[in-house]
Amino acid sequence: MNEEPKEPARVGQGMDYGEQADVQQVHAAVQREKREPRVGAEPLSIWLIAIYGLAIFFGGAYLGRYSGNFSSGGLDPMGAPPPAKKAVAGPAGGEQAAELSPHDRGKKVFSANCQTCHQANGQGVPGQYPPLAGSEFTTGGSRRMGMIVLKGLQGPVKVKGQQYGTAVMQPWDKTLTDKQIADVMTYERSEWGNSASPLTPEQIAALRKELANHPESFTEHDILAAPDEDLSGGAPAGGAPAKPGEASKPGEPPKPHG
Amino acid sequence: MNATGIPLKEPSVSAAAGATEQLERAYIDASTRVPVLMFYTSAMAWLILGTLLAGFVSFKLHEPDLLSNISFLTWGRVRPAHMNVMVYGWASMAGIGTAIWLMARLCRTVLRYPLLLLAGACFWNLGVLLGVCGILLGDSTGYQWLEFPGYAAIILFVAYTLVVSWAVLMFRYRRGEQIYITQWYLLGAFLWFPWLYAAGQLMLFVVPVQGVLQSAVGWWYANNLLFLWFGAIALGTAYYMIPKVIGRPVYSYHLATIGFWTYALFSSWTGMQRLVDGPFPAWMITASIAAMILAMIPVATVGLNHHMTMQGYFPLMRYSPTLRFTVFGAMSYTVFSVVGLLISLRSVAGYVNFTQTSIAYSHLGLYAFFTMVIFGAMYYIVPRLVGREWRYASLIKLHFWASAYGIGLMTLMLLAGGFLQGADMENPTLPFSETVETVLPYLRGRSLAGILLTAAHFIFAYHFGLMLLGLGRTSTVPTFLNPVEAEETSGGH
Amino acid sequence: MKGLAPLFLGIFGTFAFSWVGLTVLPNWQMGHLNPQSDEEGTDIYPQPQSGMFERGARVYAANGCIYCHSQQVRPAYAAADIERKWGDRRSAPRDYIFERPVFLGKMRMGQDLANIGAHASAEQASPAPTGAAPPGGSPSGGTSPAASPAPQGGAPAAASPAAKQSPNPSPATQGASPGLAGSPATASSPATAAAASPGASPGSSSPPAGAPPPGPKTGLASPSPAAAANATPGGVTAPSSGSQTAGPPWPIQTIGEPPMYSAAWHHVHLYSPRSINFDSNMPAYRFLYKKRRISDARSAEALQLTGSDAPPEGWEVVPTYDAKCLVAYMMALNQSHPLSEARSAGGAPPAAASPAVSPGPSAAGSPAPAK
Repeated sequence: MNEEPKEPARVGQGMDYGEQADVQQVHAAVQREKREPRVGAEPLSIWLIAIYGLAIFFGGAYLGRYSGNFSSGGLDPMGAPPPAKKAVAGPAGGEQAAELSPHDRGKKVFSANCQTCHQANGQGVPGQYPPLAGSEFTTGGSRRMGMIVLKGLQGPVKVKGQQYGTAVMQPWDKTLTDKQIADVMTYERSEWGNSASPLTPEQIAALRKELANHPESFTEHDILAAPDEDLSGGAPAGGAPAKPGEASKPGEPPKPHG
Repeated sequence: MNATGIPLKEPSVSAAAGATEQLERAYIDASTRVPVLMFYTSAMAWLILGTLLAGFVSFKLHEPDLLSNISFLTWGRVRPAHMNVMVYGWASMAGIGTAIWLMARLCRTVLRYPLLLLAGACFWNLGVLLGVCGILLGDSTGYQWLEFPGYAAIILFVAYTLVVSWAVLMFRYRRGEQIYITQWYLLGAFLWFPWLYAAGQLMLFVVPVQGVLQSAVGWWYANNLLFLWFGAIALGTAYYMIPKVIGRPVYSYHLATIGFWTYALFSSWTGMQRLVDGPFPAWMITASIAAMILAMIPVATVGLNHHMTMQGYFPLMRYSPTLRFTVFGAMSYTVFSVVGLLISLRSVAGYVNFTQTSIAYSHLGLYAFFTMVIFGAMYYIVPRLVGREWRYASLIKLHFWASAYGIGLMTLMLLAGGFLQGADMENPTLPFSETVETVLPYLRGRSLAGILLTAAHFIFAYHFGLMLLGLGRTSTVPTFLNPVEAEETSGGH
Repeated sequence: MKGLAPLFLGIFGTFAFSWVGLTVLPNWQMGHLNPQSDEEGTDIYPQPQSGMFERGARVYAANGCIYCHSQQVRPAYAAADIERKWGDRRSAPRDYIFERPVFLGKMRMGQDLANIGAHASAEQASPAPTGAAPPGGSPSGGTSPAASPAPQGGAPAAASPAAKQSPNPSPATQGASPGLAGSPATASSPATAAAASPGASPGSSSPPAGAPPPGPKTGLASPSPAAAANATPGGVTAPSSGSQTAGPPWPIQTIGEPPMYSAAWHHVHLYSPRSINFDSNMPAYRFLYKKRRISDARSAEALQLTGSDAPPEGWEVVPTYDAKCLVAYMMALNQSHPLSEARSAGGAPPAAASPAVSPGPSAAGSPAPAK
């Protein structure tokens, strides 16, 4: 406490840097200042060690209890087991999906890709997107429908007596696989009161090969020029949605039409 | 002439500061004068600007139509502007200024390469200015605490590189084998900040991480900025100022060591607790909450160390402005940590996450803890730089009480309002608008507290301005807060 | 402490520990999530957004929406977010993989926005009426960019999530709307709306005095073809909606509000929050709108403003491009698609009433006894 330097000789002299530039005239604040801090060496108290123990105990317990198993999917702190089904189709999810019929698989493809325009009820949008429910293209031969789905359609088109044509249907051959196209067509042909024949991936593959050189979208004229017939190799027309087993049955080798 | 540039022999080892040591300090203080004052003056300017913005933000929150038609004065822009002015303008610059002075003092060498610091200060000011203008003009990045657009961030980083390279150079020239506790913290702060800032910028803007991890990086950055940058500077300053003013050694070296290393280890793991129940793997959030629990170790250790150092000397707080501010800040560190722990426990956070409590927490850390310690340091350092004593004890007293009551009231208002808001929010039968109505009276109370803080800052800025202009008192005795009785003059300030 | 080396090493070591532990390790563990899809690679969620969405996110950032609005739904065992109808499941990391920046938020002075786009009525979400509507005074005319972010996305596969959701009317979303919105405009069927209207009243106790209760609102709305289409089960736009005529579908003199959470509603809300919710604390964002003289006909985009907010005769208020992007961004915020990792969280603790699984009854039942 009584460490303050007592050097009366200097006191009162060099208070102000502004007036006395000589730094040797030590500033009063510096003069009266205590020496630079030092460090004592008191030992740790037992209470502090107890606090450390408590903190480590509770911290560890908290971490253990709410860790969610340290997994990336463990959003739940109570460590509930991560969901059996992997987010990106894992084996479990695959099994489930395998049990779906082509109709149900097609429904998924439809909701992901088609219903934005054609709507979930297959009614389309008046004046813009033609309906699929009861449409002569959907319920007719699968060839015309397959052409439209694979390569798209543009220009005016008449469906169920109504004129459409402001919107363009994009080609799907680049986006969807044969299986997906077959599924979605099967779905569309058997939903909303439609009852046309199901499609197999092989039929689509054949049609895809056949149309491989056709560059852009079809017009209504192109479509109507094609025969209104089913693609060869499919199940008989008018049949109910195929059973899973049937759908995966390989069809006949495709025969390209002239 | 030895390596320090001071033509003196090694200082005496006596308990009292010898004549040589005094002279040495006078040299050092004189050498730090321009850079430190430059940082302090800039910081004061930002403090005033930030305070004005804060008042605006606070009032607009309950008067939403106030000037809302002007795009750059819309609440959503002024709020980040206020926060960034305070964080990067005021707190960082005042912290760097204090750290420079402490480094020079503790390395016991005159300040080398002042140009590095002057350039650093200029760039820093430029960066903050550009950043704030960018935010107001609609260039905010949208990441909390990192709103400054890229061009400002780069300038800030350049400025920081200049400062940190100065700090490393200073360390090379230091005298004496011992590295004092304050230097641990300052060195830590100087080295942690660039890593932190670079990691934040790189992982968010240059090679951004995916999805929610951006939020994780953002809050990791924000909390570490609070702890490892501001907290480290404030703790280091407190470790210097308290023993210095009362003239007594720090209680225990062991406590200091444990306190420092546990602080570095545990508080750096916090941050994710602010995202409790968010879309993250549970372990990340739990790890941060556990770190908050473990951070009670440095809190208890450092708190005990400071308390035992102060024991028997608490009456000195009646007289010494520095001690009063610093002890207030050091105590707030404990409050800040305990409140932080309480509001991050999962059971509580379910209520108070997404409420005003998180604002209360930030203000506890950045104001009640950091800013108060820095105010104390400025009351100590500025007279040594300008060669005058603070002019009015009454202004210092006013500053202290307005600040202390202001931040106390603000914290209470925000905590209470936040808890009620959270309780309302957890009651799904209450319409959402009622949760807002519940908190509005507390926000008005917060605005009242803001007026107190504004008054405090204007008083301090005025006083600081007087000192800068050389209008301080010319005296041999420091400006005590209260008249000192004869036997108590030993509170060498 | 003596010697610089241990100090340096310790300082670096401690921080490296935290840096690796809290940023690098999580990035390694979950920094490369893929969208969820089913076996065939269809039904992909989430899907990248672009165009107006990205710009809207920048407007959202620039104007600090994040300081009052969070975008995350907490699980049922932790908070009442799901009961508040802010979503029907908790948010998961996968919901955000395409977002940059991510606006999780830390404050709720306003509603959570994680699912704000899902609350839009089906009419708004579906692109149909947008294209079909004559450019007259249709309420959706001004919302065309918002209603169909899909074209910006390129492939139709990237159709707006809201649109994708509409044909799959989970009772959760549909039933949730009245409770949260306090407006039955978003209800899927009149029956649901009627059933939910008592439940909706606590949610809508804030409308200014004089505003009719939700029930009558439905009645007033019914003449509007748009609203009728809205009420079609399944939220599918009925064919008749294409033939709607010009003129406000909403009786302006009575209510003057577009359907809750529709794009037009967002515009009015951004321009004048207190005209829609008297208690609102939100600042108005009028600088995102232009007041201009009507040149020949009133623009389809013009806001339907009433009272003191209405522009003088011969003038109209139209959104700037930024405002349109902001609304497009909000309309695309939608986490209603199921996620496998978030499903498990709903029923985990005993306290949770598993609202994620069966939100229907809770939506219809729980608010009803209130008040």
